[in-house]
Amino acid sequence: MERLLFSNHCLTVTRLLFIALVFSANIKLHGEETKALSFSGDKIQQVRNILSDKCFSCHGPDEKKRKGKLRLDSKTDAYAMRDDGFPILPGKPQESLIYARMTSSEKDEVMPPPNSGKSLNPQEKELMRDWISAGAPWADHWSFIAPVKPEIPTVKNPNQIRNPIDSFIQKRLEVDGLEPNEVANRATRVRRLYLDLTGLPPSPEELDSILSDNSPDSDQKLVKKLLDSPHYGEKWAQMWLDAARYADSDGYEKDKGRQVWAWRDWVVNAFNRDLPYDKFIVEQIAGDLLPDATDSQRIATGFLRNSMINEEGGIDPEQFRMEAMFDRMDAVGKSILGLTIQCAQCHNHKFDPLTQAEYYGIFAYLNNSHESTTAAYTPDQERKRADVLRKVREAEDLLREQNPDWQTRMAQWEQEINGRKAIKTDWEILRPSLDASGGQKHYLLEDGSILAAGYAPTKHSTEFSAVTGMKKISSVKLELLNDQDLPLNGPGRSIYGLFGLSEFSVMIGPKGKPGEAKKIKIIKATSDANPPEKILDPAFNDKTTVKRVTGPVEYAIDDKVETAWTTDIGYGRSNVPRQAVFVLEKPVELPEGALITIKLNQSHGGWNSDDNQNNNLGRFRLSVSSESDVVSDPIPGRVREALAIDPSKRTEMQVATIFSHWRTIPPEFKNINNEIERAWSEHPQGSSQLVLSQRRKMRPTYRLERGDFLKPKEVVNTGVPAFLNHLESSAGEAPRLQFAKWLSDRNAPTTARSIVNRVWQSYFGTGLVATAEDLGSQSEAPSHPELLDWLSVDFMDHGWSLKHLHETITNSSAYRRSSKPTSLQLQKDPYNRLLARGPRQRVDAEGVRDIALAASGLLNPTVGGPSVFPPAPEFLFKPPVSYGPKVWREDKGPNRYRRSLYTFRFRSVPYPVLQTFDAPNGDVSCVRRAKSNTPMQALVTLNETTFVESARALGLKTVEEGGKSDHERATFAFRRCLSRTPTRQELAVLIEMKTKTSDSVASDSAKALKLAGITAAKVSALESKATPSELAGWVAVSRVLLNLDETITKE
Amino acid sequence: MKSDQDRLRSRIATAISRRWFMEECGVGLGTLALRSLFSGEYASADTMKPVDPLTSKNPHFPAKAKNIIYLFMAGAPSHLELFDNKPQLTKFDGQLPPAELLKGYRAAFINPNSKLLGPKFKFSKVGKSGQELSELLPHLATIADEIAIVKSMSTDAFNHAPAQILMNTGSQQFGRPSLGSWAMYGLGTESRDLPGFIVFSSGKKGPSGGNSNWGSGFLPTVYNGVQFRNAGDPVLYLSNPEGIDETTQKQTLQAINQLNQYHLNSVGDPEIASRISAFEMAFRMQTSAPELMDISQEPKHILEMYGAEPGKPSFANNCLLARRMIERGVRCVQLFHEAWDQHGNLVNDLKANCKDTDQACTALVKDLKQRGLLDETLVIWGGEFGRTPMVQGGSDGRDHHPNAFSMWMAGGGIKPGITIGASDELGFNAVEDKVHVHDLHATILHLLGFDHLKLTYRFQGRDFRLTDVAGEVVQKLLA
Repeated sequence: MERLLFSNHCLTVTRLLFIALVFSANIKLHGEETKALSFSGDKIQQVRNILSDKCFSCHGPDEKKRKGKLRLDSKTDAYAMRDDGFPILPGKPQESLIYARMTSSEKDEVMPPPNSGKSLNPQEKELMRDWISAGAPWADHWSFIAPVKPEIPTVKNPNQIRNPIDSFIQKRLEVDGLEPNEVANRATRVRRLYLDLTGLPPSPEELDSILSDNSPDSDQKLVKKLLDSPHYGEKWAQMWLDAARYADSDGYEKDKGRQVWAWRDWVVNAFNRDLPYDKFIVEQIAGDLLPDATDSQRIATGFLRNSMINEEGGIDPEQFRMEAMFDRMDAVGKSILGLTIQCAQCHNHKFDPLTQAEYYGIFAYLNNSHESTTAAYTPDQERKRADVLRKVREAEDLLREQNPDWQTRMAQWEQEINGRKAIKTDWEILRPSLDASGGQKHYLLEDGSILAAGYAPTKHSTEFSAVTGMKKISSVKLELLNDQDLPLNGPGRSIYGLFGLSEFSVMIGPKGKPGEAKKIKIIKATSDANPPEKILDPAFNDKTTVKRVTGPVEYAIDDKVETAWTTDIGYGRSNVPRQAVFVLEKPVELPEGALITIKLNQSHGGWNSDDNQNNNLGRFRLSVSSESDVVSDPIPGRVREALAIDPSKRTEMQVATIFSHWRTIPPEFKNINNEIERAWSEHPQGSSQLVLSQRRKMRPTYRLERGDFLKPKEVVNTGVPAFLNHLESSAGEAPRLQFAKWLSDRNAPTTARSIVNRVWQSYFGTGLVATAEDLGSQSEAPSHPELLDWLSVDFMDHGWSLKHLHETITNSSAYRRSSKPTSLQLQKDPYNRLLARGPRQRVDAEGVRDIALAASGLLNPTVGGPSVFPPAPEFLFKPPVSYGPKVWREDKGPNRYRRSLYTFRFRSVPYPVLQTFDAPNGDVSCVRRAKSNTPMQALVTLNETTFVESARALGLKTVEEGGKSDHERATFAFRRCLSRTPTRQELAVLIEMKTKTSDSVASDSAKALKLAGITAAKVSALESKATPSELAGWVAVSRVLLNLDETITKE
Repeated sequence: MKSDQDRLRSRIATAISRRWFMEECGVGLGTLALRSLFSGEYASADTMKPVDPLTSKNPHFPAKAKNIIYLFMAGAPSHLELFDNKPQLTKFDGQLPPAELLKGYRAAFINPNSKLLGPKFKFSKVGKSGQELSELLPHLATIADEIAIVKSMSTDAFNHAPAQILMNTGSQQFGRPSLGSWAMYGLGTESRDLPGFIVFSSGKKGPSGGNSNWGSGFLPTVYNGVQFRNAGDPVLYLSNPEGIDETTQKQTLQAINQLNQYHLNSVGDPEIASRISAFEMAFRMQTSAPELMDISQEPKHILEMYGAEPGKPSFANNCLLARRMIERGVRCVQLFHEAWDQHGNLVNDLKANCKDTDQACTALVKDLKQRGLLDETLVIWGGEFGRTPMVQGGSDGRDHHPNAFSMWMAGGGIKPGITIGASDELGFNAVEDKVHVHDLHATILHLLGFDHLKLTYRFQGRDFRLTDVAGEVVQKLLA
């Protein structure tokens, strides 16, 4: 019998066909009858791997790099007759050119060429020969064909078969002659399940209660219970956060903090409610485009916005928008497709059949988006907000009820205002000439408005000069506009999407004579937003003693730089278009045309331009008029927009918008209006969340030569790669949404496999395909290809339910086995790829810290919310270690002990505890963490503040709750860390440690208290339970326990 | 209890499996972290003596340099005031640059069509070699015959973070391993109780690219650079917690290792042996790192030579520490000194920066030489790009400039006392013997004994290199 190494994938014309384990008869390949002499499908894949690794870089999909016009990744080309013969002649290795070249002894003949650094070893050559002899049966790369459910193999020894997983694994073990281990003991299994499903160890009480359940399905009951725990979502979100390159800061030089925890919570929540994985993908790629998209679905698109943002001084914003786009592509490739699509950013992929044009076809789906921020609210804020909106609605309803004639009155009012002059003035828009110099960049948009982008100084003045043909200039209008690329839609660039305009000034001179321009006094300013004077928001503290305020529009023309005009009228309704009109003291008449310069002094930002402290204008438009008798339109832009629509065609929403403004006018509505204002004042602030939103105007996508954004070539339309599933387009659906559905289509060949493989990797340390980031041609061959396919199809058959997948895996014998290796296993399978033993691995960085917090009882189990700041050495966040001074306000309250998932993550200064244990920093998508084992890790668990505080807390808990005798207490602390009872040997070591430490401080109670981190008063409150030196002893024991390999290991 | 036979068998099995691992998977994965780094001194976990990815290894061919000290002048020093004398720039001071130079040129802050600014300092020929140096570098002038100056550097990026990342990892995109990580991957380390790749920062700020400048990218995390600082705990979490004295710490370590050893005997996972070794090294580091950092042990004339003062963190102290680290077998030391971003205040800032660094850099080279370490240690000095020949602001600043800048190197197989390459008359473009960042990297790897085309790591199906898809060794720099 042929020895089975890998499974068989073999093609018919249309479908992948799974045949039993070995080919030994005539089989159909691409419709041809080929005599394949005992050449198994797995071997065909091995041949393909050789061709890919050794040949494709010169004879593969990349046309430009192709040598000798020979292509070996396509069957047609590889088998076609050439001038010099057949590259591959089935059945005849000696007559096949590739085999002749591979085995040539001539230096300039042999392939691959010696200078490539690649060569074939004798076994590989032999395999090539056998393959060609066997008729060179062709197969496309396995992962490019959608999985179908393979038959479950029969095995000789069915003792350990609990579900189909075990059949596939047992089959392979039998081939390799390895015996599987027996099931691990109960306590080990329980701790394993807790750590795998929730990331936390069981408490001793939980452990006791589970161990007392002797029913045969007790493990499955536990799995269900753990999957229902909110901590399940926290544990598994981490995997996705890595893949989604999640961090709480922008990266690059400024590395400013950002608020993206709402997206992180969305992920946790999605896992907890078992959002089907296909929907999970759709919402993250295009949640904003779903019909009746909810806030939560919009927030889901934060996935695509986890890219870094560069606002370093002097950057070209478009360059770094493109960098972010490349990053998004890479993240989609690694995290969803499991393919290295970013290789085709600069040229055709060298190994996979992905052309550069196809790469930009995918790019085009994502390119037509705004990089927006939306308001996000905690559940508590969400309730408050709903309350405010309800109060406003009810008050307005009441008004309508009390004034049944409101429609008539409103219509009358509309007629009146239409006759008014203010809005009829003919304004001429100024289109200043802008260059790319300066720190903050400005762009002139089509409508004449100016958009600020890039670096954001916190105190600066900018001048905009434009020539106008208007012969007489009497007033200037400044319109502030929304823009989806601004924070919270603008109109400003501050974290609130607002601004402070410190001074507004105008200089006018004759056209062509810049030296003659004169400053013109402004005598009147009006605006539709005139908030009362307020002390400047502390976010813009400039560390001076100057009292800076914001207030009505007059503050922009009072020659006082410390006062500024803002349109901030409170949370929830300030991010709207506004305007101001400035009337000049005397009209300026320049018959030859004028050069007008507007100076915008924006000095209401904070002291640190490396942080989020700008208070600048975001998008604005300047216009001039010859008339002096003008005021700003008192009717807000949104209302004006609604009024512009024919009354018969207005939507309910538009009528409501008009009503909300109109009701502020009749004096008799004063009381209710005041009530409404009061309600608005209770609106929560919320935070911002980076999301994607659809651009109305298409932005063309070009193929970029060498991936250089300065070298756009032909326009590329949206489209998906030919070698993957077909995209079923449905009319009227936005392209990005179609793309999202394509990614998560049942026929997508890699989507389910990729996530199933990563879940497997998380349990067993290595995926069924070891290269989780690449399932393409260059990937490592799967250890159990049929199992991967079976699991993937089963996963999709069960509604893409990850919880179902977890249940399936954890219920297998493969998962439940003891992890203790036998010599034979170590020898034949040192890395446990065949899974004769259970998984044993150090938990992830977050788990290391979470275990210490849980075992000591310090853990604050609150789920979700803004990121937290556990103890960290302050100097890390200050120059010269950090580029800019960062704020790390160490939490002293309950947030000090939250799960590590919630730790604030600065990309440029990763949280050291987690980084030391291999947590990625979020620069790029990561789907496979390293697991290192270093002295730095030892220093962390020995000496880092949280670990020391955990040891002290556990020591205290031990004397308080752990019984009286040393034996009882040692056992108590041991079980909290390791979920098992200590051996006699282990107890002896612990008790000796306790005794030695207690003795060493017995005569020095100050020292004992210091070690125990406790005050004398607190110790005396322990009553008779422990003396200071005894407590110190148990703290020392706890410290030992929290540092054990087993404590941070899933056994 | 295991029989001796079993133990022997398991030892052989482990040896075989590790060999298999090394052969099949290249140098290794992070899981093998720091294994027998300690095995020379530690032998109690007898059955498990796995191979360590940090073990000192031989490169492709005999190396000139064993170690690197990279003095990274973050912020980008002005080549026009330090190394690259441009009399023509003086002549054309105040005039606009020729239009053809600016074609396709992007500047960070200024309108590229800004007036030229003549150099602010005088140059003279120094040393037997007659190298040209600015008056700002009187100390470096005394070792002009030891260093090789490259005046024809160029890079692709003109913003700090991407350019620093490019200079340190060979790519503007984040996520690639740093030069120091590649060196560790290729050579391992000879240090037994210190990390092999150590990073310091001094100056006004930290480097723009943050941690990624010394990150291991997709290489195993054991090759990450480790940040040290010269005040307080030199390494994070090095000191015992309050109330734990040395005896208790030692007893704690003993108890931990004893319990880990029991568990190793019971479950037989070699990973536990690594953990035991890691704790031993951590304990040793608690002694060795403070000893290393204690420069007060240095004789007075050495401190004076560097301008170092014990207890006062400075670039000078870091230079002295770099030498002490090299002596202790550290493979790569990188000192970031961020101070050189002179958009304004060019004259005074440069004076101050050179005062802070010139003496110490010079002392480092001299000190390495007098100890016989310079031959095997490559010293590199340079920033991420140069400065514009055009003015920024009034008359005392220069913007970012990627087309031409200067660096110097010494020791470790570098030909001493030479200048290679040249920029054009205005110092705008490198024109002669151009050296791109990738060429610099190829040259550094060559000096370490590597063919840069062959020092690769397979990730995402591709064999990645420090030099991406470019790079040529600068032969003229080689001794």
